[in-house]
Amino acid sequence: MLRTLRILPRLALMYLRSQLEYRGAFWIDRVAQVITYASSFAVIWILADRFGTIAGWNWSELALLFSFHLLGYSLGACMSFTQMRQLEEAVRLGTLDTLLTKPISPWAYMVFSGLNPGYTGHALLGIVMMGWALSIVAVPWSIGWVAYFLASLISAAMVTGAVLTMIGATALIWTRSNHLYSLFFGFWELSRYPINIFPTAIQATMLSFVPLGFMAAVPVAVLLGKPVPILGDWAGPAALLAGPFFVALAMWQWRYALDRYQGAGG
Amino acid sequence: MAQIIEARAVSKRFRQHRRFPGFLGALKTLVTAEYTEIEAVTDVSFAIAQGEAVGYLGPNGAGKSTMIKMMTGILVPSAGDLTVLGRVPHRERQANAREIGVVFGQRSQLWWDLPVRDSFELHREIYGIPRPRFDENLKSLSSLLDLEPFLERAVRQLSLGQRMRAEIVMALLHDPKILFLDEPTIGLDVVAKDAVRKFLSRVNRERGTTIILTTHDLQDIEEICPRLIMVDHSRLIFDGETAKLRTALGSARRLMLEFAADPGPLELKSARLTSDDGLRKHYLLERDDISLVHVLDEIGDTTALKDISIEEPNIEEVIRTFYQRRNAELPPR
Ligand SMILES: Nc1ncnc2c1ncn2[C@@H]1O[C@H](COP(=O)(O)OP(=O)(O)O)[C@@H](O)[C@H]1O
Ligand SMILES: [Mg+2]
Repeated sequence: MLRTLRILPRLALMYLRSQLEYRGAFWIDRVAQVITYASSFAVIWILADRFGTIAGWNWSELALLFSFHLLGYSLGACMSFTQMRQLEEAVRLGTLDTLLTKPISPWAYMVFSGLNPGYTGHALLGIVMMGWALSIVAVPWSIGWVAYFLASLISAAMVTGAVLTMIGATALIWTRSNHLYSLFFGFWELSRYPINIFPTAIQATMLSFVPLGFMAAVPVAVLLGKPVPILGDWAGPAALLAGPFFVALAMWQWRYALDRYQGAGG
Repeated sequence: MAQIIEARAVSKRFRQHRRFPGFLGALKTLVTAEYTEIEAVTDVSFAIAQGEAVGYLGPNGAGKSTMIKMMTGILVPSAGDLTVLGRVPHRERQANAREIGVVFGQRSQLWWDLPVRDSFELHREIYGIPRPRFDENLKSLSSLLDLEPFLERAVRQLSLGQRMRAEIVMALLHDPKILFLDEPTIGLDVVAKDAVRKFLSRVNRERGTTIILTTHDLQDIEEICPRLIMVDHSRLIFDGETAKLRTALGSARRLMLEFAADPGPLELKSARLTSDDGLRKHYLLERDDISLVHVLDEIGDTTALKDISIEEPNIEEVIRTFYQRRNAELPPR
């Protein structure tokens, strides 16, 4: 009797956890995202309002940084995040096996059969915010500046997509990957602040292994003519090259992982 | 005849990474390289010619699915040479995919919430099937399998049998040279099984499509495949004509006679008595050419007979008999 009573809450908890693994997690993430955006934006606003600037960035510059981050993220994530998060399940249930018997890239199939309309909202929010930020920031308008702006935004989206894809692809070898996404979102949180506010170790990490510095902090600093730690004068070209570089790395890793793919068994 | 599939000493070992529970455990899993190895396929060799229908039989865990996954390019063999239509499947996965059809009994390739036809149309796009060819194939295949009434229905509304028929039709729409089926009859009822078996055997005969199917149901193979490859514990243990299987392995069918009144001990020449509970008597039919007719003939007066049943040997029994035989034939040491 006592034993049964002890097992019941455990069972309930396990069921809850298994539910959260799937559908529940999706909606919780969506709600969490909205709350995160609102609260981080509020924090930036409060800090900037109080101190005038954060690490040399004023309020409108921070708004540009924030919107660049949001837009680049939604462009990259709509091509990767929800699809690659399903990869773990596709491995476990064998749906990936069936994709591999078709004359099509399983990556392309997954990404395009899972394009998430949920990101249109993010992107619109990013665009509106960016338009407003651009109207109040002192911008050295020129054709070159606009071209760099667009190219570095695309590069930022590529970095985002590549990192999210590389995380998902680890499921091809380890059959699990989703626990690593929480690691990503830890750094993702940091990546919408100016990179010079962090200790050097974190700066170095965000410019190498976890290259989320290229999602916004580096390109927007270049666009606004602000100094970038570690990279210095190389920041401009680095922000443009980061996207193609990490996409190439992700493609290589995908092939590597597919060659070692074993299925989930049974 | 040209060999279109050749396996030479193919093996597949799976590495199972040691897992640690919890979040920190997950991180630990990533940095430790501890793993165990499982031999799923060991040193398997065979060759299959164009137009054959081959059954790949074995109990659960024998390595059937693993072999199918290597032939379809999903998995990379750990050792040995494997060619399908002259290609190494995993190296030219997409080129191989264009010329083969694959059906997995336990996983659907159809879009769950959409009408069957939508999945077929997507298939047409992916395989680049010309419209007239597609229409012709769809028409002939779906009429053969009575699929027409379900084409506009959402996949989730189909029964398992209807769905499996749709899966098989889809796998044939691009005129594959080889059709691989991994346990296509699993979970189906008798009627659906029968429809699938008849259809596959017709596809093989009329379209000349080479068929490789795995199963642990001997009857699938007896009805579809003139040739049988049997595996157990990752190794190939028999490769030959299905018709000769029972004689080759000497596994007997079981006969049960039930009487209304006990006729006393009843020894027969056509069947060997194995147990006698009075009203119920169990026999083994050890010879293939002996049928029920012979048995009834021998009993003569059948008025007291209440029930008769004949049981085919199941796969486990066939394999057990095989091993007993082989061990008996081994020279003494
Ligand atoms: N991805 C995998 N990882 C570890 N072991 C596996 C994997 N896939 C299959 N196995 C093991 O390999 C053996 C053969 O599996 P399988 O080919 O699926 O057998 P069958 O299809 O004949 O039932 C089984 O012991 C199974 O547990
Ligand atoms: Mg299997």
